Amino acid sequence: MQLEVPEREYMYPGHVACPGCGAAIAMRLFMKVMGEKTIIVLPACCWSIIAGAYPQSTLQVPIIHSAFETGGAVASGVRAALDIKGDTETTVVTWAGDGGTFDIGFQALSGAVERNEDFIYVCYDNEAYMNTGIQRSSSTPYGAWTTTTPGQEWKKMRKKNIVEALVAHRIPYAATANIAFPEDMMRKVQKAKEIKGARFLHVFASCPTGWRIPSEISVKIARMAVQTNIFPLYEVEGGVKYTINHTPKEYPVREYFKLQGRFKHLTDSDLAQIQEMVNEDWELLLRKAGKHS
Amino acid sequence: MKKVLEGSQAVAEAVRLAKVSVISAYPITPQTHIVEFLSEYCSDGRLSARFLRVESEHSALAALIGAASSGVRTFTATSSQGLALMHELLHWTSGARLPVVMVEVNRALAPGWNIWTDQTDSLAQRDTGWIQLYCENSQETLDTTLQAFRLAELVNLPVMVVLDAFYLSHTYEPVDIPEQELVDLFLPPYDPKFQVDTKNPCAFGSLVLPNAYMEMRHNIAMAMEEVLSRFPEIEEEFAGIFGRRYGPVEPIACDDAEIILVTSGTVTSTSRQVIQDLRARGEKVGLLKVKLFRPFPSEMFRRILGPAKKVAVIDRNFSFGASGIFAQEVRAALCNLPSHPPIFGYIAGIGGRDVTTDTLEEIYWQTKKDEVPGKESIWIGLQEVDHATGSS
Amino acid sequence: MTEKKKIIEAIPLLVPHSYLTTESNKTGSWRFLKPRYEEKTSPCSTACPAGEDIGRIEMLTTRGLFKEAWETILRENPFPGVCGRVCYHPCEKICNREEFDKAIAIHSIERFLADNAIRNNFKHLLERNPAREQKIAIIGAGPSGLAAAYFLTLLGYTCDVFEAMPEPGGILRWGIPLYRLPPSVLQNEITRIEDHGVRIHTGKQISRHFLEEARNHYDAIFIGCGHSRAVRLNIPGEDIDGVEDGLKFLLSIRQNKNPSSNGTVAVIGGGNTAIDVARSIVRLGGKVIIIYRRRRQDMPAFEQDVRMALEEGVEIKELLTPAKIIYDNEELVLTLRQMKVVGEDIQGRALVEPDGKTPEEIRVKRIFKAIGEETAEPWHSPPEKGEGILSMNNSVLAYRHQGPALVFGGDLTNETKSVVHAVASGKEAAIALDIFFREGFDAIRSTLKTCKVGDGPSPLSMEIYMGGARRSRSPHVVTYEEINTDYFQLTARVSQPRLLREERLRTFEEVDLKISAHLATREAGRCFNCGLCSQCENCFIFCPDIAVIRDNSSQGRHINYDYCKGCGVCVVECPRNAMVLEEENYEESPGGKSGSS
Repeated sequence: MQLEVPEREYMYPGHVACPGCGAAIAMRLFMKVMGEKTIIVLPACCWSIIAGAYPQSTLQVPIIHSAFETGGAVASGVRAALDIKGDTETTVVTWAGDGGTFDIGFQALSGAVERNEDFIYVCYDNEAYMNTGIQRSSSTPYGAWTTTTPGQEWKKMRKKNIVEALVAHRIPYAATANIAFPEDMMRKVQKAKEIKGARFLHVFASCPTGWRIPSEISVKIARMAVQTNIFPLYEVEGGVKYTINHTPKEYPVREYFKLQGRFKHLTDSDLAQIQEMVNEDWELLLRKAGKHS
Repeated sequence: MKKVLEGSQAVAEAVRLAKVSVISAYPITPQTHIVEFLSEYCSDGRLSARFLRVESEHSALAALIGAASSGVRTFTATSSQGLALMHELLHWTSGARLPVVMVEVNRALAPGWNIWTDQTDSLAQRDTGWIQLYCENSQETLDTTLQAFRLAELVNLPVMVVLDAFYLSHTYEPVDIPEQELVDLFLPPYDPKFQVDTKNPCAFGSLVLPNAYMEMRHNIAMAMEEVLSRFPEIEEEFAGIFGRRYGPVEPIACDDAEIILVTSGTVTSTSRQVIQDLRARGEKVGLLKVKLFRPFPSEMFRRILGPAKKVAVIDRNFSFGASGIFAQEVRAALCNLPSHPPIFGYIAGIGGRDVTTDTLEEIYWQTKKDEVPGKESIWIGLQEVDHATGSS
Repeated sequence: MTEKKKIIEAIPLLVPHSYLTTESNKTGSWRFLKPRYEEKTSPCSTACPAGEDIGRIEMLTTRGLFKEAWETILRENPFPGVCGRVCYHPCEKICNREEFDKAIAIHSIERFLADNAIRNNFKHLLERNPAREQKIAIIGAGPSGLAAAYFLTLLGYTCDVFEAMPEPGGILRWGIPLYRLPPSVLQNEITRIEDHGVRIHTGKQISRHFLEEARNHYDAIFIGCGHSRAVRLNIPGEDIDGVEDGLKFLLSIRQNKNPSSNGTVAVIGGGNTAIDVARSIVRLGGKVIIIYRRRRQDMPAFEQDVRMALEEGVEIKELLTPAKIIYDNEELVLTLRQMKVVGEDIQGRALVEPDGKTPEEIRVKRIFKAIGEETAEPWHSPPEKGEGILSMNNSVLAYRHQGPALVFGGDLTNETKSVVHAVASGKEAAIALDIFFREGFDAIRSTLKTCKVGDGPSPLSMEIYMGGARRSRSPHVVTYEEINTDYFQLTARVSQPRLLREERLRTFEEVDLKISAHLATREAGRCFNCGLCSQCENCFIFCPDIAVIRDNSSQGRHINYDYCKGCGVCVVECPRNAMVLEEENYEESPGGKSGSS
């Protein structure tokens, strides 16, 4: 069970992420693979703050902070500039939250992917607009409380499937990843690093503050999302070839939901319905991968 | 070399001569020809630049923010709705001190859809920290665009070169296209003061607390002020090589004028004619062309307009709830003079309506007639509207 | 050109460009909970009467460090080869892995390590304390006596072991049959004890007179001569020819007197001796009926051995006691009275009474008595309470103001009569005597408490007593719920091969066969290593604040408390519960909660 993790850190301690922040773990693991020759475009999200206030920066690579909806567009410009300067070694990365990817940033992302811009877009997904105080995004899962879906108005829309939306663009490489599966995540980052063209990583990053869980189970909850099939680990190459990376032990979704305060209002029949939805989505994924349950 | 060029192509020629590296633009009438010419130049190699075919104006400027931060010369063009869409990022570009150059074709804002010339779009962005330069003809357009790169890179502020829709963008005029070698003398390759560098990593544009933000803003204000002295210096250098100079403002027959008209854009051309005619009839009338709008050259306005008896500002724009914007700025420049002439504000040519010699004469006689302005802003050429049928 | 340069220098840019690191923010000040590396106690090590550091033994085995794993056993138990074969492994019954899939086959691994040491001729002498002046006499070279001698030698004392029989070993040599314990293994382990400096004098029967003489030569005497006299049935016909003592029978087999046995035989009793006799008879060709007065589940014999006896064709008749024996026509007629269960005692064993039904009779060729043993001499029995008498878990120390201290141990004092309890006796006696000599009689009980394994009524550890690394572990015993089972896969337990039933019946060859190094390593890899750090580095990998720093310490890393926010992810992701999350102590560091651990 010993994981081979590169020694070098590209992140400094002293940043202001919440204790147990999944996004901090995600960036740390990501950067260990990416290394020095990386430029990060950082649209508005929790990481805009975690990255440090002037005059501090928590990363050892350049960061271009950008406006909320511009992740895909700014990266396109940086890539164009590097190309014209003849730089073939530096990778351009957009590091955005679910808000800046699924919602306000979707246009720029879609545009950049459609043009097959040569960059890696990483969405670290904590399933709401966490930086502005836990408001609902289109990535918020069915059943969740947020400050804009409170009480009986809990979110009754399914989580938008961003990977499928980008697969429809025939993106060269799209994959889901999870901080609780560091080996799988780092392998995918390495794979993405070696491909040219648009690449997308959807990283599940738990948020103790917004999900109302104790900080110490931050990684455990992320693992359970995979184990309950709520967040399957898979890759899509060329927009057509699906590979499922992990077939879980089949936990019932109830196990995942009962640990989180943002789901505590759900009744047994709500959970049963959600279990069916999860099963349905999993079946769909299996079919795409050419497998049966 | 003199050629008859469409105004849009004059812009494209300037961009080519400036050896821009990254262009990112989204088409909108009447800027489209600029984009098309540049696309062609990039395709046939006349210009070796990356042309990003982005999916919106907002993304266009966003891409340039990325490219400029990476240390290359950048260019975009837009108009009206597109400029309005870019608004957030106009603030961002100046705040990030990126020397982006934009050609902005003045077009009316919707609804209703109106593609003809109107200055409200560019003037509505006057607070965004962009240098604004207004052009009267195609030659001035080409020259100003070249100067814009030099100026932007000197003070690290973005520059907006403003043209009238159709009158400049789509009209053919003889233009003297400078030789590349001479342009290279005037405009050396871009030497960025900062850029992203993996060997010396830095975070651009992070969170800034109240204890540091104000000084950064003051720094922008100081840079803007510096433009007032650097722009004439650049014009001087340009004149030395190419023999043409325009000035932040151009006074025509103002020295002994009792009434001075203040205009900008192509209205100025028409006004030159009207001034000549009126002078021939013995009227003591002068004309002040405004080229540099941001930073506003207040000192020059005070010096030139102060001694006049009356000033008539012609605005092809309007700030609802206030007045024509040029008139506001002129009033502000003059208000602290111990004595200054009354400022008459006239609104004309909104949404592309013609500003003819008759319009201008009407403005002159109205100004001469009234002691003081009857209203804050007088709309010239309004027609009666039948509210039942909606026709005028 | 120079003019342009002058312009550029005019107003320097002031832009939000950040070059400094975030390291000046000591986010450790956010903490209200604080994680710490703390190894804890595994339940198996508290169930092992010898207190072996089982979790660590399995961890070393997983890494292929067989010699180091074997040495770890030797610190607490000089008989890994013996125990790996004959111990009833209470450790496995408490193993946390049982709740996940199946308990670790700890005994299989222990046997493998011991056999591996023999095969590779490992020589290892443990560290010992500086030489002490006191001399100790040990009566009986059985497991308790030899263990006592071994541990006393480690503590610096000189020991003389006196053994009546011609060879050392006690019950290990004369009582446990060959098919359970080959003599070569036993000899190897006894030789190692001698290599440590223990002197064994065989053929020396000790009398009461010796005890009185001893005060002139020895400062203490350990009495571990066990129970060598069979308990009588006290029924008519007990002394008829053909009614034999079970233990003597086993002895005769070992003395190569080659007894044979045809026909049906009855063995009376339910303990290990009864089972050993029964299975030996089977191998000599006989058929065996075991007569036991309670139920099968109440039999004190080890469960695995009872099972194997049944497999080998031994019949067990429960709830019967012998009433009388008569000789008739070359056979013995044994009259049996039926018993019934009338309740259970506090340990769950049945309380029985005669049923009142008609007694039954069986006809057998021989009858073996194996209902228990008692002390051969009255002075073997440990004294009851009184002045100067200290009863401990596995031994009794008696001290009068004149004369040497007497310590009774082994079967003489242990409720459960097993080899591993005998080893525990020897260890307890050794430590108690060391405390007695250094601090006096009154210090023994309290000082013994400081070398327990875990909390609760638990075994002693010599390593802890001698100040080894094990001392720094928390006595908290790790439960299954505290293990993060997300990091383990369901894996089948190793199946130790055995001789086939048919093969067993023909020979006294060892029944359990060896396992390979590969299988041993794989089985050891199933161990949760409860409470021990296995260097998996999860804490390092998952820390969001880069507050776990690799270093050259024995832990391999430390927590940088300048930045640790106390989120607790490291503690939860530690699969083995080798970390602890405690409330931050605000009074500890006056200047704030910074610094490293």
